Amino acid sequence: MRRRLKVYMPFLENQFKRNLAYKGSFYLFILTSLFGPFISYYLWSAIYGSSGGGMLGGLTQSEMIIYVFMSYVTSSLVTVGVSDAISDDVMEGTVAMTLIKPIDYRMRLIFMALGEALYRFLAPVIFVWIGLEIYKAAVLGLGVTPVINILLYILSVIMSIFIHLLFDFCFGMVAFVTTYMFGMNMAKEALLGFLSGQLIPISFFPQVLQQIFEFLPFSSMIYVPVMVYLGKYSGMELAFVLGRQLLWIVLLYAFGSYLWSRITKRLIVLGG
Amino acid sequence: MSENSMIEVRHICKEFVSAKKYPGLKGAFKGLISREKTHKLAVDDISFTIKEGEIVGYIGSNGAGKSTTIKMMTGILTPTKGTCLVNGIDPCRNRKKNAQNIGVVFGQRTQLWWDLPLSESFTILKEIYNVSDKDYEERMEFLNRVLGLEEFFAQPVRNLSLGQRMRADLGAALLHNPPVLYLDEPTIGLDLVVKDNIRAAIKEINEKYHTTVILTTHDIEDIEELCSRILIIDQGKLIYDGSLTDLKERYGTRRKVVMEVQDTEQAKRLPLNEYLGVAKDAYETQADQDSSTITISFDKNHLQVSDVIEQMMRHTQVKDIKIFETELAEIVKAIYKHSA
Ligand SMILES: Nc1ncnc2c1ncn2[C@@H]1O[C@H](COP(=O)(O)OP(=O)(O)OP(=O)(O)O)[C@@H](O)[C@H]1O
Ligand SMILES: [Mg+2]
Repeated sequence: MRRRLKVYMPFLENQFKRNLAYKGSFYLFILTSLFGPFISYYLWSAIYGSSGGGMLGGLTQSEMIIYVFMSYVTSSLVTVGVSDAISDDVMEGTVAMTLIKPIDYRMRLIFMALGEALYRFLAPVIFVWIGLEIYKAAVLGLGVTPVINILLYILSVIMSIFIHLLFDFCFGMVAFVTTYMFGMNMAKEALLGFLSGQLIPISFFPQVLQQIFEFLPFSSMIYVPVMVYLGKYSGMELAFVLGRQLLWIVLLYAFGSYLWSRITKRLIVLGG
Repeated sequence: MSENSMIEVRHICKEFVSAKKYPGLKGAFKGLISREKTHKLAVDDISFTIKEGEIVGYIGSNGAGKSTTIKMMTGILTPTKGTCLVNGIDPCRNRKKNAQNIGVVFGQRTQLWWDLPLSESFTILKEIYNVSDKDYEERMEFLNRVLGLEEFFAQPVRNLSLGQRMRADLGAALLHNPPVLYLDEPTIGLDLVVKDNIRAAIKEINEKYHTTVILTTHDIEDIEELCSRILIIDQGKLIYDGSLTDLKERYGTRRKVVMEVQDTEQAKRLPLNEYLGVAKDAYETQADQDSSTITISFDKNHLQVSDVIEQMMRHTQVKDIKIFETELAEIVKAIYKHSA
């Protein structure tokens, strides 16, 4: 295990450093990506205002504000992916360059993505998060989030990151079959936005849809950690949603391994 | 596996069955379900054995199947049929284990990390291949000496010139001191000096570490300088496997005698066939007034070089003599053409 870390750590560091090198474009990215949550914030404020200030979808207006910003925080960390790297590798034929080395392709991609997540955590996630906590305590008068919730959230969000990475690896395998990754990616992101609860909390959907969504891995990516943060689960239910996250990790890992072994058997390395 | 054989390839075949890829979103789905396929037999029943410490040239015209064979031996491509053992390991079943044993240079592209300084690529490789600090230092010293890496060690790989990049790639392939080295066109696009350096490095590595080397190239000089044995592949089939001298012996039987003479016209008219007692078409004669030379070319199995010279010297005034063997390049060209 120690040795494994030593092998793959450089890929994490690398990705982190590479992000540092392009900070200019990243600040722009932060700015534009913060539009989303602020628009949601005003939208939801209006909705709650016109509905007379009660509970909607099981959330109070204050909880909704926290949901909006924590879903931003969560998705910033969780949506680091590997499928773009895979499709680049396929297009440029650089998969071969990894395969001639005694390393695991998926592991390499995952560590690169973790480097990206680490960078996003330091800029801007941590600042938005702290800002939200200050706002929550000072303006909403709810006090800061209990440490236990924060710890459970961290646990849940780490699992979310892996669920998404492992899912995205499976999705990335499509790159070996088609050249139309761009469009597939758009479709994936739109779908994820909905099914993960990033745009609208899943509790807003009709009961039937909720059950279907809960059955899919996507709700475990964003909705679950944010609800954990809000303290919406307790006891057995909490154990259940966390256990389900773990189960998704195991399943997606196994499915990814299966796909990869199928693909490498008929892998076609371009060029040369 | 017989003693000290490093690579054993048995009846290996590779058929590319490519599902057609379609453009557009509709195409993406179509590609997922479509059954339309194109077939291409790139490697057709090839077998050979390579001994430890050999440098083998693997040559053939464009599209012959060289790179495909190399890819199967590295484990990044699964053979359709047949088996391959590298140092006792099946590269496809045991890709990672095999990878520890091999070094690979694909001349057409780099295995280094494009954005990183070369030094960092090497640090990463050190971890990947689990090279000890002591070995690393020793190896780097050696690689610096034979490849001159320190000159550009701090630069990002994308800034390197082609020649520098190729040296860097070769160094990277050798950092873990692999018993087997695959070189797919390692001298492509390099100037004469860099080519020489690369060849010298390959030679020295082979001698020092007894590394088994397989080299594909379109540069016949690479072969002449480095390889004692060559394999020739054409349209996926192995058409020659033997030593360089045998190849020359077998196909390179043309000889050319160029003589500087007093009077080219007179020399050309000489009835050489009568002197030698052979048919008139056993040789060809060409006279060149400007350089006042006469060139006689023939097959050495039918005529002796010494006889030709002797007869010419007896009947005309000869000032200078040069003898040429068929060049390897011409032999190879003839073989490619012949089998095409
Ligand atoms: N991924 C692929 N799909 C379909 N056909 C392929 C694929 N890769 C190679 N081929 C075909 O297989 C044949 C052998 O290709 P290969 O790359 O092994 O040739 P090569 O001997 O290395 O040629 P060169 O000297 O030009 O590099 C070619 O006809 C090529 O078109
Ligand atoms: Mg090739």
